[in-house]
Amino acid sequence: MNNGVGDVILEARNLTKEFPSGSRRRRFGPRPTFRAVDNVSLSLRLGEVVSLVGQSGSGKSTVARLLAQLYKQTSGQILLDGEEIAATSGRAFIDYCGSVQMILQDPFASLNPLHKISYILGRALKIHSPELRSAEIREHSLALLQRVNLRPADRYIDRFPHELSGGERQRISFARALAANPRILLADEPVSMLDVTIRKEMLDLLNVLRVEENLAVLYVTHDLASTWSYSDETLVMYEGSVVERGNSKDIIDAPQHEYTKRLLAAAPDPARRRTR
Amino acid sequence: MKITSLWPKSGKVRAGLIIVIFFIALALFGPLIAHYSPEATGSDVLSPPTLKHWLGTTQTGEDIFSQFVNGARLSMLVGLFVAVFSNIFAVVVGMIGGYFRGVTDAGMYIITSVFLIIPGLPLLIVLTAYIPSRGLLSIAIVIAVTSWAGTARVLRAQTLSLRKRDFVEAARATGESRWRIIFAEIIPSEVPLIASGFLFMVIGGILAEAGLSFLGLGSLTTVSWGSMLYFAESGQAFLYGAWWWFVPPGLAIAVIGAGLALINFGIDEYADPRLRTGRKLKKSDRRGTRALEGGMTSLRTSLADEPEAVGDPTIDARAALNDEYERAAAVIRPPRRLPGETILDIRHVRVDYPTAHGTVHGVRDVSLVLRRGEILGLAGESGSGKSTLTNTVARLLRAPAQVIGGEVLYSRPGQLPVDVLKFSAEELRRFRWAELSVVFQSAMNALNPVISIWGQFDDVLRVHRPSMKKSERLALAKDMLVRVGIDGDRVHSYPHELSGGMKQRVAIAIALVLNPDIIIMDEPTTALDLLVQREVIEQIMKLRDDFGFAVVFTTHDLALLLEISDSIAVMQAGRLVEYGPAEAIQTEAAHPYTRALLDSLAELGARL
Repeated sequence: MNNGVGDVILEARNLTKEFPSGSRRRRFGPRPTFRAVDNVSLSLRLGEVVSLVGQSGSGKSTVARLLAQLYKQTSGQILLDGEEIAATSGRAFIDYCGSVQMILQDPFASLNPLHKISYILGRALKIHSPELRSAEIREHSLALLQRVNLRPADRYIDRFPHELSGGERQRISFARALAANPRILLADEPVSMLDVTIRKEMLDLLNVLRVEENLAVLYVTHDLASTWSYSDETLVMYEGSVVERGNSKDIIDAPQHEYTKRLLAAAPDPARRRTR
Repeated sequence: MKITSLWPKSGKVRAGLIIVIFFIALALFGPLIAHYSPEATGSDVLSPPTLKHWLGTTQTGEDIFSQFVNGARLSMLVGLFVAVFSNIFAVVVGMIGGYFRGVTDAGMYIITSVFLIIPGLPLLIVLTAYIPSRGLLSIAIVIAVTSWAGTARVLRAQTLSLRKRDFVEAARATGESRWRIIFAEIIPSEVPLIASGFLFMVIGGILAEAGLSFLGLGSLTTVSWGSMLYFAESGQAFLYGAWWWFVPPGLAIAVIGAGLALINFGIDEYADPRLRTGRKLKKSDRRGTRALEGGMTSLRTSLADEPEAVGDPTIDARAALNDEYERAAAVIRPPRRLPGETILDIRHVRVDYPTAHGTVHGVRDVSLVLRRGEILGLAGESGSGKSTLTNTVARLLRAPAQVIGGEVLYSRPGQLPVDVLKFSAEELRRFRWAELSVVFQSAMNALNPVISIWGQFDDVLRVHRPSMKKSERLALAKDMLVRVGIDGDRVHSYPHELSGGMKQRVAIAIALVLNPDIIIMDEPTTALDLLVQREVIEQIMKLRDDFGFAVVFTTHDLALLLEISDSIAVMQAGRLVEYGPAEAIQTEAAHPYTRALLDSLAELGARL
């Protein structure tokens, strides 16, 4: 098992994912498919952040879901610690989830409104540490809330998601992911639904966790600019393929591919204000 | 949860509960207080209600009260049996089909559909005619078999939608098993549907049993409300005017049906924790508050006294920040001189939201000026009150929000200003869309998915331009589409056939069709990614040059406002904290909150 900073922990080789597309018009013959991810390879290293950037429909979220094994790839391999994994159910899948955790975009939709925070965190703990007794689970849950800066933790644990603000809910998502004690975090647009001042807090939290827990992080976003200070390597995706990859700062300072340049140019720029 | 909180607040639900509890008590304890056996005949024949026979007697001298309470027992037992079994069946079929999809689903779907189209009563009649023993249990089973399909279909559809929700995906990513997801995540979300299905199956079961018995197809050896009606009919109770024979069972069936239907109104309240919070409010206030709870949380924490928070570093820091923002004086700079005259003058507007936790001040004394052709950027985060303010101006505020002060003066060319807040319904109808229109955040939701683009244009045009001919309306709609950069032939498309950016541009085209003076754009690009946002913004700027309308543009993205606005207003916790020309905000932002916003943006990589 790898432990040092910079060691490759999760590797994707030539991932391709096809979804059935359109209605089944022809009764016979293969169903038409749509290639959402086309031959994508990437490596996540402990203690480092890899950004996956693209507009909606570019396939970036599908890559994250393939890495989480929520979808089965059409072809290609995923290697954890150098070993190929191929489980989307059963014990093997739970073990895989213990290493690879995912944070979804919308904190208003990703927490079941019917469950209290104590249940949401308790389940995640129970799945990955079945030996815990219920008093210990509560203690661990409180500790998790502290780690994501929801303090005092006992003010949050017995609440329902709707009683919290967007930023607080996204912190709960982080806590749920950490409950599995993972080595890899897949964050699918973790801040795009949040207010600007909270986005920064949230990315700072992600950064702290990465350093303190030596996590490998995949940061999926449509905002190329935000990768500058928060990530090490950036992959730009367009229509399912990676069109540019490299050091995050280099890509923003000197984009090579036409699409990357367009993405950068699309960002709001006060300098463009027309003088009237 | 305290026991007292189980007692519903809604009068309808209370009435329903009282009715049902009354009948359950009658079924349980009634036979204990009835003096006669329901089948015992006697010498008092067709006696009207007396002290001896509380509900009179039948043609053969049986005591109707005894029959009635025994009948309550059996009728309700049949209803309960039918509901339990057909509901279990419906849940299993709906849930498994909806969650696992594939061949299982296809098979179950076909079976469900077959049962759905079979007419229930004739099948019941045929089945009961052929079953060997016509006991109550067989009757109940036959009723159960014919009544599950509808609920199964509803649950399947709901499961199909739920399995794609984020929280189900999050549970999978956590490592939850399929069965656990079905039982702990999906089924609890469907409790309102299952419960209301259950209630209606109880009613259906009681009615079906009564119907069958009345037709003489039920179990006539046992006493139920249905068989009482059958014997009343065959004993010619009508002819003898023996109303006491058929009124009690008939009325009981109607009343218990009504009672169960009334309880149905309260199911959501028990099943969904979100609906339990606003309970302390009066019923009329509740709806608006729910919608508010989410968006206002941050505002509430900043305003309400929260003594428990003392001593906590994070919350202290946040409270200290809010205090600092609160103490800092609002920075209002004289607006830049623009060529246009004032078109909208918002003066000292205050809006309150009464909630269960006290009054939240949504907008606190905000004054702004909009000139002809100006783009006014309204910046603020969730809970800042920016949408409350724009909704006040467009008169779209819903209860419990209350405008408690201020005026919104709108100036038509060459006329004296009028107060929008005092418009009558008729004045408002002329004002909205023709003079002020609104583009909402997600055009995906603001456009009606089942009406074509042309239909949505037509809705507006027929109301506001009744003299226009159809060909003129169609030409105008096409022209508007072309102006927002969409091929005119797409006018007959439906919203789902367009991309997100195109839908937002269609929403803008519809807002522009009557050539209004003012367009309020409420976060029109927040749901779009950067490339599409760029596309939409460029379109808006071009149209503004062509048409010369004024825009109120709200967003939390201050960088975007710095690019497009003439002046910018920054709102925080309902207050206007900074207001002035865009250049001034960019170069000399003075309020600490504005500076915090700009700093956050800079750290997130925005060009400033």
